[in-house]
Amino acid sequence: MAPPVSPPSSLAPGSWRVQGRVLKALLLREMLTRYGRHNIGFLWLFVEPMLFTLGVAALWTAAEAYHGSDLPIVAFALTGYSSVLLWRNMPGRCIGALWSNLSLLYHRNIRVLDIYVARVLLEFGGATISFAGLSLLFITIGSIDPPRNILEVVGGWLLIAWIGAALAIFLGALSHESELVDKLWHPASYLIFPLSGAAFLVDALPPVAREYVLYIPMVHGTEIVREGFFGTRITAHYDLGYVVPFCLVLTLLALMTTRWVARRVVPE
Amino acid sequence: MIRLDDVTKIYRTRSGDNVVLDKVGFELRMGERLGILGRNGAGKSTMVRLISGAERPTAGRIERQMSVSWPLAFGGAFQPTLSGIDNIRFISRIYAQDFERNLAFVADFSELGSYLREPVRSYSSGMRARLAFAISMIIEFDCFLIDEIGAVGDARFHDRCNDELFCKRGDRAMVLISHDPGYLRDHCNRFALLHGGNLALFDDFDVAYDRFRDVIGLNTPSPVDRGAAPDRAALIEVAQHRALADEQFRMLVRDGDWARDAGRWEEAERHYAAALALHPFQRSYWVQHAHMAKESGAYARAENSYRTACALGEPAADVEAFLRFTVAQGGGDPDAWPIHPYTKGAASAQVPGRADAEALAWLLRGETELSDDVLRDLLRRHGSCDALAAAMAGEGQNAAWTGARPAPTGFVHEDAIRVLAFAHLPPATGEQRVEQLSAPDDDAPETAMADAFRDWPMTRKALDR
Repeated sequence: MAPPVSPPSSLAPGSWRVQGRVLKALLLREMLTRYGRHNIGFLWLFVEPMLFTLGVAALWTAAEAYHGSDLPIVAFALTGYSSVLLWRNMPGRCIGALWSNLSLLYHRNIRVLDIYVARVLLEFGGATISFAGLSLLFITIGSIDPPRNILEVVGGWLLIAWIGAALAIFLGALSHESELVDKLWHPASYLIFPLSGAAFLVDALPPVAREYVLYIPMVHGTEIVREGFFGTRITAHYDLGYVVPFCLVLTLLALMTTRWVARRVVPE
Repeated sequence: MIRLDDVTKIYRTRSGDNVVLDKVGFELRMGERLGILGRNGAGKSTMVRLISGAERPTAGRIERQMSVSWPLAFGGAFQPTLSGIDNIRFISRIYAQDFERNLAFVADFSELGSYLREPVRSYSSGMRARLAFAISMIIEFDCFLIDEIGAVGDARFHDRCNDELFCKRGDRAMVLISHDPGYLRDHCNRFALLHGGNLALFDDFDVAYDRFRDVIGLNTPSPVDRGAAPDRAALIEVAQHRALADEQFRMLVRDGDWARDAGRWEEAERHYAAALALHPFQRSYWVQHAHMAKESGAYARAENSYRTACALGEPAADVEAFLRFTVAQGGGDPDAWPIHPYTKGAASAQVPGRADAEALAWLLRGETELSDDVLRDLLRRHGSCDALAAAMAGEGQNAAWTGARPAPTGFVHEDAIRVLAFAHLPPATGEQRVEQLSAPDDDAPETAMADAFRDWPMTRKALDR
């Protein structure tokens, strides 16, 4: 017989270990449920976003899309569309996540937040591997130059991930209480996509438009990633003094909503 | 120890707040097994979810100083698209347990063999239950929550579950809910009755059960959708379901079952009769009723009840041996009085049972009960309701009863009267006619009778004579 399970307490020093264990279990379970063991299995995690990005890069190249700079279009599509995938897929996976996982709440170690965090981590992993993999590929075959400042790329990438994660948890928790969230998120994400900086450089916009477009937080992250990639070849516009407080407030909102939902949730 | 302190749970619904638990409190220690009785929807499962921590109370405190299981054998706790093995792996990870050891235990206990590699959604409900129970046993909790385990699997599996729970883990705390109070009686040492949001605690099952009986008896029976049964065949069909959904019926047949198991035949028969008075077209308990009468030597009554069960569609082969025995014991020739085979179609052509005969006697003669011997004679002779009614209507000088009838009692049931005499009318009109039959007003009963038995040629002829 196994040793009895001790009652978990949120104050116990082991509670982080418990949470880590739970997250790992949820991650692996999520990967198995989503991708299964058939054909390439969990490789789909990043092959799918890669295909997306490649497709968009090909389309933009073919259409010779105007983007307001002399940058190679492949590099432009890679940085822009990968960023979109990063912030857009997280909320997409978190909305309604609790409904399909309600029965998990019978395991007391699993909290509502864990379900969202597991999905956010999975999406982050997929988008990051896809971005890094494609960058390596294009650098190797010589269609783009290596990033000028790799740390800045990482910083911008993490900033976008932060926005996406906070938004995902906030919308995910809200969606448990109102199905309007699901209905509104789809049009909203399509509308934000062209405004998020994926398809243009802020510098190419007229000054009036710049001012408004910089209210959209994702734009800042995309600009930072591009500055890291292309260095002085572009002029980046971003304001950490706006975007970091924005993320902090959104994170707080997300945690409060999650707490509120966790109090009200009724497992099946 | 688990302690609930003034725990309140309110669900907000469109039609206002629903207070499920109202300041409920108790303590549970190791070795205590608490069985919770309560009506459907009293909040038993809510209580289990609150104790498990899956749901939080609206107000009050739940203190857990021991580890508490998820509700046992709860199938929803796994992911249907994953295989049994992957589900075991997941649970093992969550609780930091040795996967290989757990897999060995589950494989051995659930006897699922190679099915463990298949997705859980391809399992039958029995296989799911076996997997769920086995997984529930791999984590050694201090307190187990058990919500309806009695319905799981076959008898042998049931025995093994009981052994795992109550023998190997007899030192743990448990909270049990079951639709079968007998299961709670046999396995718990403390009892509680949840009613109207309040929880009353008892150390003695009989005291708790008496209170439970009061609670069910005091309330009017659950609302019944009468309109759903336009004719006798439909009424027979819905009666099977309706009866089992009716808590009063279930309580009475349970009392009957317990008395039967203790060999108190007459008491059991009384309970079954009381249950059948609520739903006279529920066939399977007519068989039980017959067995009890047979055991106590009332062969005529037993024969009548066996015939009634068959008339309502109980397979004749299951009953025939008993019927022949009771006919012979009653001094008759079994070959001379065979079973009238069950027929589909209109009420007039269907085989009458005791509930039909007594309803017809009430209709046509103003009697509420027939003696066992008279009834036996009628059921033996007449293979259709029409023939039986015609015989009753044509008997004696005072052809048919006129004037008001007494209120229906015993097996004389308003629904039965309606589907017999007024099946040609819409159910609502039929119900009005039935009311008119026992109205004190002089004309109403006759007016209603003039409208009755429209498609019953023999009866109509006898009445019009």
